[in-house]
Amino acid sequence: MRRRLFIASGLSTLSGCGPISAALSQNGGVQRVLASVEPLNHVLIGTRGLAQEYSERDVDRDFRVNGFATPSDARYASLVASNFAGYRLVVDGAVERPRAFSLDELDAMPQRNQITRHDCVEGWSAIGKWGGVALAAILDSVQPRSDARYAVFRCMDNDGSGNLYYESLDLHQARHPQALLAMRLNDAPLHPDHGAPVRLKVPTQLGYKSAKWIARIEVVGSFANIAAGRGGYWEDQGYEWYAGI
Amino acid sequence: MRQAARPAIYRYALLTRLSHWLWLVAFLVLVGSGLQIFNASPNLDASDKSDAARRVLAIGSPADGVGTTTIFGHTFVTTNWLGWTGDGLGSRGAHAFGASITIPGYQDLSGGRRWHFFFAWVAAICWFAWLFSSAIKGSLREMILRPGDLPKLWPMQAYYLKLRKAPPPHGIYNPLQKAAYTAVLFAVAPLVVITGLALSPGMDAIAHPLTAVFGGRQFARLWHFVGMLLLLGFFAIHTFQVLTQGFFNQMRSMVTGWYQPE
Repeated sequence: MRRRLFIASGLSTLSGCGPISAALSQNGGVQRVLASVEPLNHVLIGTRGLAQEYSERDVDRDFRVNGFATPSDARYASLVASNFAGYRLVVDGAVERPRAFSLDELDAMPQRNQITRHDCVEGWSAIGKWGGVALAAILDSVQPRSDARYAVFRCMDNDGSGNLYYESLDLHQARHPQALLAMRLNDAPLHPDHGAPVRLKVPTQLGYKSAKWIARIEVVGSFANIAAGRGGYWEDQGYEWYAGI
Repeated sequence: MRQAARPAIYRYALLTRLSHWLWLVAFLVLVGSGLQIFNASPNLDASDKSDAARRVLAIGSPADGVGTTTIFGHTFVTTNWLGWTGDGLGSRGAHAFGASITIPGYQDLSGGRRWHFFFAWVAAICWFAWLFSSAIKGSLREMILRPGDLPKLWPMQAYYLKLRKAPPPHGIYNPLQKAAYTAVLFAVAPLVVITGLALSPGMDAIAHPLTAVFGGRQFARLWHFVGMLLLLGFFAIHTFQVLTQGFFNQMRSMVTGWYQPE
């Protein structure tokens, strides 16, 4: 252990970490060069194939809660109090037939269950059984127009400073057979802490793509005018839009 | 009395020198940014999903001012070294690896990921370009360990330990060097690249066996870390040898290409 630390401290001397790496990490030009490999990774890995599906015995019964705090505003509290009777999932934007789905309407659509691994950008993984409606079915019912390119997920949770969470998928990712609007976790209705009543589950990308507490899906041609314009809350903080790695 | 110097030989081609130094930079950045990424979830599990029952390494801070490192269930207090370390902003906090060895120094997972993914490409391209060109030129053959070298491994080690007066006869690279280069080029470097890819959920969906063969995602993260430790070990021995065996001649040859035989 001491030997490793000795080597490691030697490394830091050689690489001149600290001030130099901090200066480079805050230099916009350097960061643009570093970020230049993201399109390459997106093209090479992309959204292909299917994430591994597991069996019931692999499921984490006490699925780890993460992300922003559960919404605590009066509107969300009243939704919870009414068991989400007044909830509507609004799907609009660049679509032929904008719609607002009640939970009963979503429940009446074909349901699918998938047991998949949730891979967090932080490095940990957990396995859950997710039940709900394929996102592709929702998109089919609203019919995206020819100029539509992305589905933007508008959420009810915020970062504590009033910035609402949002995420986006391109329509190819959104139509992936495992892209799910989940209403159930481990055969029970989603708990508020897990994003009730409706959350996204995209097992081919890192967990921050799987937005919780979705209020609205806005289909757009470009997300450049939404928040800081990078397609998601964490993307606006410097994380990759393509979260397949 | 010294003999007249023998003529210098042109030992390293431009591509070799360029890829060597570029690879060094990439390696140091990959280690520093990798430790930054590790810090976001400072555990390594021998399992697919996270599983505390199969935890091999955990670095944590059970209380303010205390850092601990748990290896196979044995906990050591490592305050100021691991678990409770410098935060890069002038004070100390609960960070597994300290700011002096992570990139960026302060806690920044997205920044660490950007450095890591860019220099992963630099390292992979260097490795591949050099390997390809050395294989074409034939110089790679001199570095690869062959069955005939195996009986010479111990005599070479004995020579280093001063148990033997002369090294066993060998070509440009001695049998131990060949063993180290062969292991790094064809086992450890591919291990690190493949386990890195195996961590990616997108890659897992394309090529699940890549993740499964290492025992799943968390296990691949553990192998990726072990691969880094092996490369650090190689780096330490390599640096020691350069420092102790004609440092200036070695450095000149890797900078200008010209080596002065004794």
